[in-house]
Amino acid sequence: MTISAEPHIRSGQWEDALTFVAVNADKAAYAELFSYFAPRLKAFGMKMFGNEQQALEMVQDTMLNVWKKASLFDASRGCASTWIFTIARNVRFDMLRKKQSRKDDISADDLWADGDYPEQEDSSSDKWETMLLSEKLAPHFDSLPPAQRLVMQKVYLEEKSHQEVSDELDIPLGTVKSRIRLALDRLREALDDTRS
Amino acid sequence: MTHAVKYHPGMMLMEQYVEGTLSADVALAVATHIDLCPHCQRLCQDLHNDHGSQLAQLEPALSHNETEFEQMLAFITEQAPQQKPVKRVQGEMVTVTINNREFKIPRALSRMAQQHGKWLQLGGIATAKLPAGDKLHVSLLYINKGTEVPNHTHLGMELTLVLSGRICDENGEYGAGDLLINSPDDTHTPHTKADEDCLCLSVLSAPLKFNKGLVRLLNPLQQFFY
Ligand SMILES: [Zn+2]
Ligand SMILES: [Zn+2]
Repeated sequence: MTISAEPHIRSGQWEDALTFVAVNADKAAYAELFSYFAPRLKAFGMKMFGNEQQALEMVQDTMLNVWKKASLFDASRGCASTWIFTIARNVRFDMLRKKQSRKDDISADDLWADGDYPEQEDSSSDKWETMLLSEKLAPHFDSLPPAQRLVMQKVYLEEKSHQEVSDELDIPLGTVKSRIRLALDRLREALDDTRS
Repeated sequence: MTHAVKYHPGMMLMEQYVEGTLSADVALAVATHIDLCPHCQRLCQDLHNDHGSQLAQLEPALSHNETEFEQMLAFITEQAPQQKPVKRVQGEMVTVTINNREFKIPRALSRMAQQHGKWLQLGGIATAKLPAGDKLHVSLLYINKGTEVPNHTHLGMELTLVLSGRICDENGEYGAGDLLINSPDDTHTPHTKADEDCLCLSVLSAPLKFNKGLVRLLNPLQQFFY
């Protein structure tokens, strides 16, 4: 493995690598991330713990989370390095707290929502946009009732606003919203079924 | 929320919160404030981005051992990645009921608030301990309408985060999201107005000392707040 001492980082490189890890469990993309971040996380850990063994434990836990949870990474909320920093910070926090081994203790999960603040009404559907295109959803998309499918197609594939769809189809805005909601519920359910 | 948050944690608290070096009890109050404060949510995101790029620009540790990292990499990629999509469980809204009133609890505090101890009531004031405390005492503090907390001096630090309603003292008025920090030796008389009660998160590092009249003789009140 080569450790890049003088990194020439293409912008978006790590974000792309995380996407490959998330989508295909791509080991090559992950190895790139690992060889860049692991030595830097170790330097960070040495600064925080002043102890090599704990620093390495932190590196391993952090990089394991990066591998396992890559699908939770959301580039619209910040870059890959920010996401990896928050994981390392949380791992370190919980490592320090665990010594006191109390179940009801404050944990990193309590303290850092990682940007997951209550969102505006429409933004939760943004995540679905990418999901819709994925293979898993395509067949379920086709089996939606035609009226719902039409609205979903205009909003998610043609990227029209709810208002535009309402004007174009000559149906009330509330109907557009409720069809989207119903369709999303159906798709979620269909996904749950395929997983269980 | 019509009330704009006016009292925020200082920059140093925010920095330490983001770094994860703030003591857990104080961090809990800061995290809860952030849940209630869009301004600090943005600030917090900026600080996280800073730390992210600092991490990316860090000199890699020189003392690393190739084999060690290779073994680590091999171990990690043998593990099964989490199946997506991960459905984000929109946690049920946690509420706390006191004086027949139901209060919504912000996300950061919800797990702790569910484990609150028995409410102890004295006049218009009630407190319930949270199991969070290390060295600090963390509790929910409810103050009914038109109630005054007797004038007191802090022997240590007092952090009060208004979760709901409104409270006033000699220095100002505080609404949901506002964070008041009192240092040792600060003296004040918090009270609610006639038409609005108040639920707070209180973090104390030392007992309060009550200053006036009969209450002074009753300094056992300390036990009640602390
Ligand atoms: Zn704030
Ligand atoms: Zn006070």
